[in-house]
Amino acid sequence: MSLDPALLARLGPLQIRARKVMEGVLTGLHKSPSHGQSVEFSEHKEYAPGDEIRHIDWRAFAKLDKYYVKQFEMETNLRAQIVVDASGSMAYGRGAMTKLAYAAVCAGALAYLFARQGDQVGLCIAGDGTRSLEKLPRGVRSYAPFASSQAHVQAILKQLEEARGSGPTLLAEALDFAAEKASRRALFVVLSDLFDSSERSVPALKMLRSRRHDVLLLQTHDREELEFPFDDPTRFLSMEDDRMVEAQPRQIRESYLSELRRFLESTRKELARADVEVAQIRTDAPPDRVLLQLLARREAA
Amino acid sequence: MIDFAHPAYLWGALAVAVPILVHLFNQRRPRPLPFGAIEFVLRSQRQKASRLRLRQLLLLALRCLLIAAVAVALSRPQLRPKGAQSAAAQGPQAVALVLDASLSMRYRLGSRTLFERARSEALAALDALGPDEPAVVGICAGEGGFLTPAAAPSFDRIAARRALTAAQPTWVTSDLTTCLDLAAKALGESPVLGKKIIAFSDLAAHSIRLNAPPPLVPARPGSNGPGTKPSVVLVDAARGSALPNAAVVATAVRPAPSLGPRGYEVVATVANWSASAATGLPLALKIGQSTVSKGFLDVPANGTAKKTLAAVLPAGTALGRVELARDDAHGLDEDDAQDFVVHVPRDVKALIVDGAPSSLRSRDEAFFVEAALSPARTGGRITSTTLDADAAVNAALDGYDVVLLLNVAAPPKAFVEKLRQAVKTRGMGLFIALGDRVDPDAYNDAFGDLLPRPLHLIKTAAEPGAGGEDRAARFGVVDWGDPLFRIFGPAEREGVESARTFRYALLKPTGSAARTIASYDDGAPALIESSVGAGHVLLYTSSASRTWTDWPIRVSFLPVLQQAVGFLAQALEERQPVPAQVGGEREISAPQGLAVLQVLGPDGKPVAIRRSRPDAPDGTAGPLLLPGVYRPQVGPKGGAPHDDPSLAFAALLDVKESDLRRVDESDLKAQLGGAGSAQVAASSEAAQGAHGTPLWSPLLILGALALLGEGLLTRR
Repeated sequence: MSLDPALLARLGPLQIRARKVMEGVLTGLHKSPSHGQSVEFSEHKEYAPGDEIRHIDWRAFAKLDKYYVKQFEMETNLRAQIVVDASGSMAYGRGAMTKLAYAAVCAGALAYLFARQGDQVGLCIAGDGTRSLEKLPRGVRSYAPFASSQAHVQAILKQLEEARGSGPTLLAEALDFAAEKASRRALFVVLSDLFDSSERSVPALKMLRSRRHDVLLLQTHDREELEFPFDDPTRFLSMEDDRMVEAQPRQIRESYLSELRRFLESTRKELARADVEVAQIRTDAPPDRVLLQLLARREAA
Repeated sequence: MIDFAHPAYLWGALAVAVPILVHLFNQRRPRPLPFGAIEFVLRSQRQKASRLRLRQLLLLALRCLLIAAVAVALSRPQLRPKGAQSAAAQGPQAVALVLDASLSMRYRLGSRTLFERARSEALAALDALGPDEPAVVGICAGEGGFLTPAAAPSFDRIAARRALTAAQPTWVTSDLTTCLDLAAKALGESPVLGKKIIAFSDLAAHSIRLNAPPPLVPARPGSNGPGTKPSVVLVDAARGSALPNAAVVATAVRPAPSLGPRGYEVVATVANWSASAATGLPLALKIGQSTVSKGFLDVPANGTAKKTLAAVLPAGTALGRVELARDDAHGLDEDDAQDFVVHVPRDVKALIVDGAPSSLRSRDEAFFVEAALSPARTGGRITSTTLDADAAVNAALDGYDVVLLLNVAAPPKAFVEKLRQAVKTRGMGLFIALGDRVDPDAYNDAFGDLLPRPLHLIKTAAEPGAGGEDRAARFGVVDWGDPLFRIFGPAEREGVESARTFRYALLKPTGSAARTIASYDDGAPALIESSVGAGHVLLYTSSASRTWTDWPIRVSFLPVLQQAVGFLAQALEERQPVPAQVGGEREISAPQGLAVLQVLGPDGKPVAIRRSRPDAPDGTAGPLLLPGVYRPQVGPKGGAPHDDPSLAFAALLDVKESDLRRVDESDLKAQLGGAGSAQVAASSEAAQGAHGTPLWSPLLILGALALLGEGLLTRR
């Protein structure tokens, strides 16, 4: 059973929606991935100054007369930075959910999943205008540092629920900020449509990868954006600035679709060359199935 | 000009406003839609915008065209050539097609002659006639109007077509005014009410008489009342092109003594009917087949110029031709040449036998005769040798054409016999003048039948220098038509009549066939001629010196003596034959004893001869249909004909035909009965103008194409 977005949309708060999605994903996985107990012993390492003294394995010392430090899985555990693009264009969506709402459900579900397996998860919402009092740079609307507690996940969900799409795409700035915050290697999950008139988002993603972070881009699109099913003369208004254009959709459909295809294809290729994983998702697809497929794919890889 | 059968439908064209208004106001207000992927919409719109606008405008234009084409087609427009009157097309019409076949229609314009153009226009007009329209064809040439009388209009299209295709341009002039009259009369025989004449012509001014009444179709027999005016369409075969032309319009041939014996000069008059001067026109004089003289001349615009070409011609009848040697095939080449016939007298050798020589030149018997026959006075045609009587007796007479015996005492019989033989067999001429040495009886004895009439006695009318001059004899009856005297015009005859003769011989009356050419006022013969065998003998009954008469010192003596020598030598300077006119006739008088048997035209075919009586020797040849030289052939009745070059004559083209300047269109319309019934058109489409060219089918096709285009554009 999968969760239809229309049904999901009626489920109320994001907490419930995200949890539902997470449950769907977990059911699909049958079993939690190898990320098990985060305190599980992994290996011994010879002591070196600076290592935690409490991790010294005294039994080993007794047998071997050498200091060995226990290395735990916790140290190899994932740090996941979720970045959600909350620009104006992400607010588009005349179906069950806007792209941003869909992205929030996915992000929330992922946050649950990460936290549930003990991984630290952080959130960065890209967009202009800071709502909190904390001093955040331009392009970062809200930020939650890495943590894995349930309370932290709830905070993330709250931020996601409060996010509204508006203003220009400032994904590049937000990624810069998040990259700085992640002091060591992390998994960056970016949810965005990459509709960026300044065209700085793709270079920023490549920059993340060059900093040795894992990057997964969930490129989110609405069905109408992909199919352009309009017939009547329409005045198209930009959702990020004051651009507008009047057009006969029937007459420009072919041209629009080919332009869009070219954009998606060139973006995918460019990011693939930089070893950035890209998943193009539609807001009318069940999010649990989308995430499941994604996780399964990563598992296989 | 476009006519509309139902002009009210043209209001329908206002419906063109509908698509325009729809285009302007019915553009749906676009729905605003905030859209995420506007970047791609913008890019697409930029690419497509200009093409889309163009397509919209094209659509609008096609829709307007569709509506306008249908509206105009419904009003049933037809194309009528400029100047056509719309009232003409009322029911079927009896049509007379008049085709001008005059010489000027041979004018070459481009690759075709005007005649060929006119004929194809006429055939097109014939094809365009409705099935209920009878037609008659008239070929207009000659002064009398049509070549063959026009019949009543009929529906026999095959005959009409045959008449047109068989027609050929002639060499004669035409009278279009008469032809239109005759065509109108022919139309009167058709019961069809509408009458129409379509004439195909070059509209040259000379073929149209502007002062003539307009053509009138006579009223039907039984209905009294005036005739009706037919509608007349004149189709200009040249379609308004200017028709410049140059032609040789006159040729005069006259002896030129300065060029020596048989020297002639030919004065050609060349006219240029063109708005620009013709310079350096090459002009050639041909005798027979060879070109003997060439020259160039400049002719001013619409003017004439003369050019004299000189040549020494062979004796006999010379057939000459003056031609403008132009090598371009444009214009009217047929009138660029004129033929002429000139009779060139042969050279004469004369022997003067001086019966009373004197050491004092002026008292010499032969003084005046020698002076009259001197090369300076005869142009070298006559060479004379003078011998005294004794020398002459032993001289050989071979080679002499004429022997003149001047006051010679009766010669020995042997000499006379020599003379007789020469006269009889060789046709030599013998001139005998008397004087104091002549003894009538001895003369009669010596000459016998060689004298036209025997001498009787010498009569003295008055003694010269004795105061009795007023009793001297004068010429009484003179045969002015005789070759000896025909050179004198009436004003110049006084010079002959005033000569006084004091002494002369009277002749015995005989029944001989001698012919008295001149006689004195008392009736005694002065000049008498008889034929002896092949030759002639001429007797002058007075002296050729001043001893018996004062005629030799008068100016009239010289020409008479020259003519007499020419006549006796049968080498008379003939009066040059007057050229005939193409289209006309020529009277031909046969020489004595012969009859004109046939006349060969320039093409070598015999021309019809009309005679006053079936057995008359003379005849009138004609009509002369071709320009060029005609050669009459004579012979005894029932015998074999042979050429008589002295009767040859040239037939010249009518100069009027060379002038192709058009008649003024408004004058022409006025002559034909006003613009209401007459029109001048450039082509046969105009001639068909009464029917007009329907335009609705092309308009409907245009509308259908617009609809198709509209469909294609909206489908995409």
